[in-house]
Amino acid sequence: MSNTSSIIRSPLQRLALSAALFSLAALFLLPIFWMLITTGKTLEQANSGTLSILPDPAGSLPTNVADNFSKVWTDPAVTFPVYLRNTLVVAVLSVTGMTLSSAIVAYGFARINFRFRGGLFALLLATMMIPFPVVMAPLYLIFRELHWIGTLKPLWVPAWFGGAFSIFLLRQFYMQIPRELDEAARIDGCGHWGIFARIILPLSTPALAVVALFHFLHVWNDFLGPLIFLNHRDQFTLALGLQLYQTKAGGTPVNLLMTAATMVVAPVLLLFVLAQSTFIKGVASDGLKE
Amino acid sequence: MTRRAAVASIVAAGAGFAAFGPRGPRAGGSGRVVLDYWEKWTGDEAAAMKQVVDRFNDSQSRIHVRYFITAGIDQKALIAIAGGDPPDIVGLYNYNIPLYAETGAILPLDELGSPEATGLGRYAQGVRPILTHPDRSGALRQFACPNTGGTLALYYNAGAFREAGLDPTRPPRTISELDEFAEKLDRRTTGGEYQRLGFTPTEPGWWPWAWGPYFGGTLTDAAARHATIDSPECLSAFSWIRNAAERLAPSLVSRFGAGWGGSYDSPFNAFIRGEVAMILQGPWLANVINRVNPTLDYGVAPFPIADALAPIAQAGPVGLVEADTICIPRGSKDPEAAMEFIAYTQRQPIVEFLSTKHFKSTVLASASDEFVSEHPNRGVAVHNAIAQSPRGFIASRTRQFPQIRAEMGSLMPAVWNTRQDVRGLIAKTHAAVQRLLDLEASQKARRQSAGGSGAA
Amino acid sequence: MTQRRENSAGFLWISPWILGLTAFTLLPMAMSLSYAFTDYPLLEAPIYVGWENFSRLATDPKYLHAAGRTLAYGCVVVPASTAVALVLAAMVNASPRWGRLLQAAFFLPTLVPSIAAAMIWIWLYNGKQGLINQSLSLVGMQGPNWLADASWVFPAIVLVSLWTVGHSMVVYQAAMRQVPESLYEAAALDGMGPVRRFFHVTLPMISPSILFNVVTLIIGTLQVFAIPALFSGANEGTDPQAFNFYTNELFNQAFLNGQMGYACAMAWVQLVFVLALTGLTFAASSRLVHYRGS
Repeated sequence: MSNTSSIIRSPLQRLALSAALFSLAALFLLPIFWMLITTGKTLEQANSGTLSILPDPAGSLPTNVADNFSKVWTDPAVTFPVYLRNTLVVAVLSVTGMTLSSAIVAYGFARINFRFRGGLFALLLATMMIPFPVVMAPLYLIFRELHWIGTLKPLWVPAWFGGAFSIFLLRQFYMQIPRELDEAARIDGCGHWGIFARIILPLSTPALAVVALFHFLHVWNDFLGPLIFLNHRDQFTLALGLQLYQTKAGGTPVNLLMTAATMVVAPVLLLFVLAQSTFIKGVASDGLKE
Repeated sequence: MTRRAAVASIVAAGAGFAAFGPRGPRAGGSGRVVLDYWEKWTGDEAAAMKQVVDRFNDSQSRIHVRYFITAGIDQKALIAIAGGDPPDIVGLYNYNIPLYAETGAILPLDELGSPEATGLGRYAQGVRPILTHPDRSGALRQFACPNTGGTLALYYNAGAFREAGLDPTRPPRTISELDEFAEKLDRRTTGGEYQRLGFTPTEPGWWPWAWGPYFGGTLTDAAARHATIDSPECLSAFSWIRNAAERLAPSLVSRFGAGWGGSYDSPFNAFIRGEVAMILQGPWLANVINRVNPTLDYGVAPFPIADALAPIAQAGPVGLVEADTICIPRGSKDPEAAMEFIAYTQRQPIVEFLSTKHFKSTVLASASDEFVSEHPNRGVAVHNAIAQSPRGFIASRTRQFPQIRAEMGSLMPAVWNTRQDVRGLIAKTHAAVQRLLDLEASQKARRQSAGGSGAA
Repeated sequence: MTQRRENSAGFLWISPWILGLTAFTLLPMAMSLSYAFTDYPLLEAPIYVGWENFSRLATDPKYLHAAGRTLAYGCVVVPASTAVALVLAAMVNASPRWGRLLQAAFFLPTLVPSIAAAMIWIWLYNGKQGLINQSLSLVGMQGPNWLADASWVFPAIVLVSLWTVGHSMVVYQAAMRQVPESLYEAAALDGMGPVRRFFHVTLPMISPSILFNVVTLIIGTLQVFAIPALFSGANEGTDPQAFNFYTNELFNQAFLNGQMGYACAMAWVQLVFVLALTGLTFAASSRLVHYRGS
């Protein structure tokens, strides 16, 4: 229900509102649109400085696209398939770990009344305020001692210990599950683990989906982490791989760069199209604090 | 297909790709020593080096070099070396050498190689100081070999010269001649906007720290302990820049040149389009010229020097000498094998091959006739002469150089765009640079007295 | 269950987080605090220097410039971003027919990874061939030399931040939907027009949400790194100070200049500052934020 609809009454106002919104929306989408357009051009056309949506012989669009994508995919110097695999490995391991561990920890905060719970939860919230640079360099040194520099481990192992945002989200969700269900399970002889596995977990799939989705986005987007912890090109993630196309003194193959950028952006866009409501629910829920 | 099924299948596909997808290239050839070589170049320059690497791998069967393009190599290399997971060969920028040598991040090469293959005597006079640095005990050692290099010279548009009534075989030799020619070459529309500039220090403006030496000034003293930015020579350099700004009007130049930044490698390159008649640039410009406008009639000459310096310049042209360097990191798995590869890249035919492909001049003490005659840059002999000249200059050999360069990068726009007193601006920058050098000295002294440094 | 068993059960269940917190947060924080008092070039052992790093910070012009620039960035982006998000949220909520589509359009940019966004915007900002200047020249205007001109770098980066307001917009949309219709009706009966209703009903009722978002935004903005770092790689000749925000300077000092101890001092100053600013925001908000039921 949209209660602000009462603000706008006349059809003319509605029209003006729609016009304004659609123009703004078009502007917001323009950069992404432009990226996609450039994948259909050759280098000369992209660099030519003339504003055009379609390449010069418009019919060359499919061949240009195929050409650009295959060049990026098979480039021996910038091995995109390897980076994609690395990113997926980190994503799968990290998201699985984050979801599982956060679900477990959140249950502890939500359903068990233990000493210092309030203080520890406040500490959890406080850790969300710690800027990454404070821990960045020592984490690097810790991983060096563990001989994890040069592997993907620094990127996904910490996720198996839970994350503040995910724990917070899940705890809020669990608190809304009626305690009567717990009681019923307890009467049946279940301990905490039974309640968790049989009652809480199955009921919290929407929240788990949100946690998984948001952590996936975080991993997909992460730039600073891979920049510091990954050294060898074999291990690069897509974010670092994309940077390899950038040159300082010109000569950047813009059409290939935009094609590579499309490949990095496309999976996320695809997920969004398929799961828009999950995204939105996840974003909206973290703002509803009392 | 329901949405859920679609998402589930995508996730499954992703997991499958993660498990069974392609991994990075594994070592080629069993029994070989595999060396990882990280290099900073991309695009065509990288491809040329790859050819050299392939030739080396094919020429012998003991060593296999894997070549990796690395973005942001000056940061990544330090992170990797400090992290205990370095490459076996690394291509650094010349300004990285002081920090890496002083902290022991790279190994001295003089005991690994042989004087014939990699000794200092092979290289142009201007290039040698780039390769050496005092090690932890203070002894001067060779820490790098150069793979390609370039020097800066004056590029001028011969067609524009003729139009303005100037002789294209007689480029300006002194600063006052430069100013005189520049004024003749300026073209304005009836409305007062520029159509062509004779010369502006802001295009391309890539070396804001390097104007002093054309006037006889330097950024620091030879030992890089004291800043010398407030010298009268540097003051004349920046006063000259201020005078140019007052004559040309920065806002008009800015309007005329909107879009020059980022257009170096495109048809919109200011020099190639004839929008600026004379610029300070390196030999790599010929790469863009040949691609965008091969019929451009251009000339190359040493950059003009202050009138007062003219008698001294008899010894040789003045110009910035740069080189990209190749080094062996601490922790390299087989320094001797790495040195064998480096020595291969230092053979004259290889150096000249790579320099030709990179559109750069040579780093060796002399160039073969074929190199000069077949080089795609018609002015490569000028660039070679600058490298071999005793009057060439390089970036200050201090680990603070990136920060010094940043300070100069702020001084330049202040001098160009504002009306603040030039002496005052220079004094501020001088103080900032001196502070950086003092910090370096105090940190070094403290480390020495703490009983030398144990490696972390 | 006895309280003791509850206690041990509780700690058992949250133990993964406790372990992770210790290993990956508390321990590194203690380490970086101790390094902040040393000279540590990474490749050699750290040497104790007392408060020298902190006193250096107070007089280091490059650091002060980066800090000032980041603060200015926060002062511009936080209000601007919040205002735009609020207005967009209200507008999109008022168009139920196209709501889902519009929401998607504004939200999509937030999903683009920062590296891809940087590459796209560098191309858009190109002085001669970029879309922005090309479009401006179509209407006869001369666009500036965006990323090549030091004075235009700041607005350029701010614009990219504003491009990602979609996230906040969605949050505000949800919060606005929770405001009871009856309040709007009462206000309308009192004679309030739409704008006054927005300021006197909507904003106060969603103020907890605004507070949370503003705090999150402050924390995030003061850590900005990727976009400036990637923009600085776009052009050769631009004044590098223009791209030097707090975390960029920190990163350079740590990994480029061999000043890890100095960088740790910077990180702790940043932490203290973020905590202080967050505390201030909460304190200042007690008058402005209206909690349901009070």
